[in-house]
Amino acid sequence: MRKVCVVGIGHTVFGNLHHLDLVDLMGHASLNALEDAGVLAERREIVDQVFVANMGAGRVNIQSAIASALVSRIGLESCMAEAVENGPASGASAVKLGVMAIKSGMADAVLVTGGEMMNAVTRWISTDFVASMLHHEAEYAYGMTLPSLAALFTRLYMQRYGVTERDLALIAVKSHENAAKNPYAHLKTPCTLEAICESDGADHANPIIADPLRLYGICPVSDGAASLLLCAEDSPKMRHFTKPPVTISGIASATDTHCVHLRADPLILDAVRLAAERAYTMAGLTPRDISFAELHDAFVILELAIAEEAGFFERGTAHLALRRDETRVNGRLPINTSGGLKAKGHPLGATGVSQIYELVKQLRGQAEPERRVRDPKHGMAVNFGGFGNNVVVTICSR
Amino acid sequence: MSGENAINFEHYGEPEHHVYALICPKCGKRFYPSVLICDVCHTRRNPFASAGNAPPEWEKEILEGPCTLLSWTRVFALPEGFTVKSLDFCIVEFPNKLRASGRLEAENPEIGMPLIAHVEIVNEKVNMDHYGFIFSRENYN
Repeated sequence: MRKVCVVGIGHTVFGNLHHLDLVDLMGHASLNALEDAGVLAERREIVDQVFVANMGAGRVNIQSAIASALVSRIGLESCMAEAVENGPASGASAVKLGVMAIKSGMADAVLVTGGEMMNAVTRWISTDFVASMLHHEAEYAYGMTLPSLAALFTRLYMQRYGVTERDLALIAVKSHENAAKNPYAHLKTPCTLEAICESDGADHANPIIADPLRLYGICPVSDGAASLLLCAEDSPKMRHFTKPPVTISGIASATDTHCVHLRADPLILDAVRLAAERAYTMAGLTPRDISFAELHDAFVILELAIAEEAGFFERGTAHLALRRDETRVNGRLPINTSGGLKAKGHPLGATGVSQIYELVKQLRGQAEPERRVRDPKHGMAVNFGGFGNNVVVTICSR
Repeated sequence: MSGENAINFEHYGEPEHHVYALICPKCGKRFYPSVLICDVCHTRRNPFASAGNAPPEWEKEILEGPCTLLSWTRVFALPEGFTVKSLDFCIVEFPNKLRASGRLEAENPEIGMPLIAHVEIVNEKVNMDHYGFIFSRENYN
């Protein structure tokens, strides 16, 4: 089977970018990736296929058929192009399809670009749009949202495993600290435990959004784009690229029940565990081999729960590792060195691509010095769709 | 008029609204919400049957009454169409082990507390009211 490498990476800043055009944003990240690979001028000869990850352009930006729009904006006609929608896991799903296209032999080089422009509409509408991925009859119709499901999960998790509000605040503090050193992050302002948890004013600074989740326990609504250029290791096109290739050694996905209440144990995220197991098998690695990870912390509790399902910690113990600083940049297993969804931001379709961008940047040794992981060999990204009902896990290796 | 000549006005009244579990006709497993195939014996459900083209083979069972609170939340950031400050949501488990999500209307909720499931309007829209679960304490009404 052909090996697939990431040979170019591109990113835009994440934030409230509603004054820009979504296709421009995605085009900018795409051209950054092609430029990083050293093939900007030769792009028509290099790129066989484009996959575009996006969740809401049709509804939020009134832009359907977004793959065709992107290809034309960046002068990549006549390559193959399709859009991929898989909720908040659209990004990694598009990368997975890119890997499949290369391994099948249909393509040698694939450009994968994810992007989202959610701030083009009011928060009321964007909340509704994201909630529309829930089960319509049994969840959505009641007014339930993704934060609602995360809050139900968080309350149970805190009760069963003794996780405290302070633990949740610790995750936010760590993520903001990393994001402050990431030039692309949405929230670059550091926060302190005192400000959001341990002072008289903490309730005001960090109010309840979905009890027990507070403002600093939930990711922001972000706009942004990220892009990767993938190529088959055995392709003659490889000679064109200027950066050291990073191998996608494992990529896999798994699904779970649409309704959260249908899970035998609502705290078990089967799709994360199964996707991780499949990715480990493909890569021939185990959790012990992973040097660092980007985990889908749209809600801070997920950093703990996903780390456990991925095999990094025993169930119900990830918060203890957090308290011991094991998941900080200089810890035993750095998690979310980019700032994670919590602070780097979460432009839905871009997120999965951005996570892999961070893996490549760290594996190349190009992350900013203050948040650089020491001598990493393998990085893992977990992109979590719905509330854990469609999860993609990617392992990149140096 | 009286007796057999009386006009029956029943069908002009407000229809009763329920939430139903569906029962697999072959193995008896209950499902909520509905599925198109039983995950135990793989018997299929014909979605056109319930639209009146054929007699439904999967029996419906009203899913209401006593249940137990598994988790809850109070949400302050609601989606388009909800104009209240906050809503409470929860997951419950019925005695037949089926679980459901819905609206919680109980003060001082605690995981494990007994509740009663009722069906009322949970989402008001012009000509499109959605009926669903409201879970409240046993002394409701």
